[in-house]
Amino acid sequence: MLSLRQCLRRQCRSHVPTHRRRHAPPTSHRPHSDAAASLEQIERTHSRLLQALERSVRKSDPSQTDIAAAKQLKSAKPVHDAWDRYQRTKNALLETIPLLQDPEMADLAASESADLITDLDHQLTHVFPAILRPPSETAHLSALIELKSGVGGSEASLFLAEMLRMYTRVAHQNAWTPTILASNDSDNGGIKDAILEVKGNGAYDALRWESGVHRVQRVPATEASGRVHTSTVAAVVLPLSDDPPSDGKDDDLFKLDDVRIEVMRARGAGGQHVNKTESAVRLTHMPTGITVSMQDERSQHQNRRRAFQVLRARLMDQKIIREQAERRATRKNLVRTADRSEKIRTYNYPQDRITDHRLGKGNMAWNDIMEGDGLMEFVQSLQDKHNVEVLEDRFADLEC
Amino acid sequence: MPLARLAARLAAAIGAQPARQELKWMKQARAADPTLPALPAMLTRRVAGEPLAYILGAQPFGPLTLRARAPVLIPRPETEDWALRLAHTLAPSPGMPARRILDLCTGSACIPLLLCALWPPGTARALAVDVAPAALALAADNARLTHTPTLAENPAANTLDVLHGDLRHPGALARALRAHGPFDVLTANPPYLSKADWAHLDPSIAALHEDPAALRGDDDDGLGLYRRIAELVALPGVLAPGGADVALEVGWTQAAAVRDMLARAAGFARVEVWADPWGRERVVVGRRRA
Repeated sequence: MLSLRQCLRRQCRSHVPTHRRRHAPPTSHRPHSDAAASLEQIERTHSRLLQALERSVRKSDPSQTDIAAAKQLKSAKPVHDAWDRYQRTKNALLETIPLLQDPEMADLAASESADLITDLDHQLTHVFPAILRPPSETAHLSALIELKSGVGGSEASLFLAEMLRMYTRVAHQNAWTPTILASNDSDNGGIKDAILEVKGNGAYDALRWESGVHRVQRVPATEASGRVHTSTVAAVVLPLSDDPPSDGKDDDLFKLDDVRIEVMRARGAGGQHVNKTESAVRLTHMPTGITVSMQDERSQHQNRRRAFQVLRARLMDQKIIREQAERRATRKNLVRTADRSEKIRTYNYPQDRITDHRLGKGNMAWNDIMEGDGLMEFVQSLQDKHNVEVLEDRFADLEC
Repeated sequence: MPLARLAARLAAAIGAQPARQELKWMKQARAADPTLPALPAMLTRRVAGEPLAYILGAQPFGPLTLRARAPVLIPRPETEDWALRLAHTLAPSPGMPARRILDLCTGSACIPLLLCALWPPGTARALAVDVAPAALALAADNARLTHTPTLAENPAANTLDVLHGDLRHPGALARALRAHGPFDVLTANPPYLSKADWAHLDPSIAALHEDPAALRGDDDDGLGLYRRIAELVALPGVLAPGGADVALEVGWTQAAAVRDMLARAAGFARVEVWADPWGRERVVVGRRRA
């Protein structure tokens, strides 16, 4: 199909009157005002975004000639390219708008302006925000999900076991590798607490929204009177970096000298005198008072490795929280940090409804989440919401 | 007997929490290896007092998973702890000439195989000695399992060879060792239970699935084999003339006596006693002359 501008050029050259002249549609004035209004609307809606982008385009104008400037220019290239593309598309639309009046061109102009508006819309809702948003510093990290049953006793531990299955399934669906590092079974077939490792890029960024209190409402299997109980499971999702050195050498998160390593049970005479598995270990990070106990493996070596992994994740989590707090202190930061005591989601079995309280609307059915891929939809919505907050933050940055 | 009752009896014998864990490990092991006995059979044997390691046929030791087979002594966590510490303390740099390691009363060969696994390639040349044929067979199996060749198979790798030898005759043993020595590192976890200990065995070993000869020390005080080791290291050609590092595991009350023996026996720069993670004096370490 010929583009409108190619059409125009050809017309100018030929001067041949068109025979198949069409009647101007009776509503020919409407596309014109529609397109202009759409553009105006788009620009009004996204004015802050456009200003921010324009400012960062100008800011990156290199007056210096050193390597830093070249680097800055390179990092600014996507911004420039997007800005150029936006301007070109916008100019094309501005050229097209008068043609909507032209009975000859109106049809073609209408379809082309619609395409251009869609394109502008896409750039403003997807391309620009993605460019302006600083890249996630935790994108490469794996995750540790710590689950603890809260109120509701055995029903809470039954639900914890179901959540563990849910996260294991979600991990497989996303090509991550789930491993249960620790779990304390309760007597009724449930699990009192558990630590699930989810290895793979992006696991932490996606699953971090799961931190908080999960509330389940249903009639427990053990409840004779059929009364609906409310139980809770607390989740904390921690960032997990690559495997630490196996002997837990010093790294940027802690000094080995600050970690007290203890075995957990007395062994009497020990050595050849007894033959019991004693593989449980407990680490205490003395500066922070964090303790990690690990006893799930027969191998003490393995338990120690995993305990260091959990310690490292908790310390990195604290570091991220601290950095967020510091950023907030230096300027107004709009990005919310998760309050882990906050109730984030309700799983209501009798009403077949799972509500995420941070999203407000858009409930899921029980099986969507527990058996299907509904959780990733929640995750996506929460990520989008977070992205908007990050962008707002960025605006504040550019505007001050 | 139904599974629940077996599990309850195991809990009564070893405690609820350890029983729950052992049950989980049995399930995991069986899921990973269907040639293992079914769960009720495993539990029945466990309730009868058989050690878990024999039932599962495996025992973790540091980063290794070794084979465990009756009646060879099952590696203990105390041994794992000091062997790891020794491996780090003595670790050679890559490219250094191979150290000759002699492990007496080797059993499963857990100690020399750990050194072979943790040291850079070509820096460990181990000889594992035991008097029991069952131990020598298991030591060789574990070498294969951990991909540790013999010296003849690959002199460029860390290697382990096994040798039948009787520590009770130090002179003869020294002669047999001549072809393999002299040694830079000597390790041993000899049987050390005293006559008094033998009268009051802990329930976890009382069923004697493990070879009594691997547990019960010589002489009434259980220190007989340390005396033989002291004699052995004093013989020419056993330890390297430049000095050697010696690490001997001891029973919880024996460290002082063994330290004195070692201090008298050969010219060590110093003799240390290392505690185990449970706070017991567990290993006597003689360090080479500076």
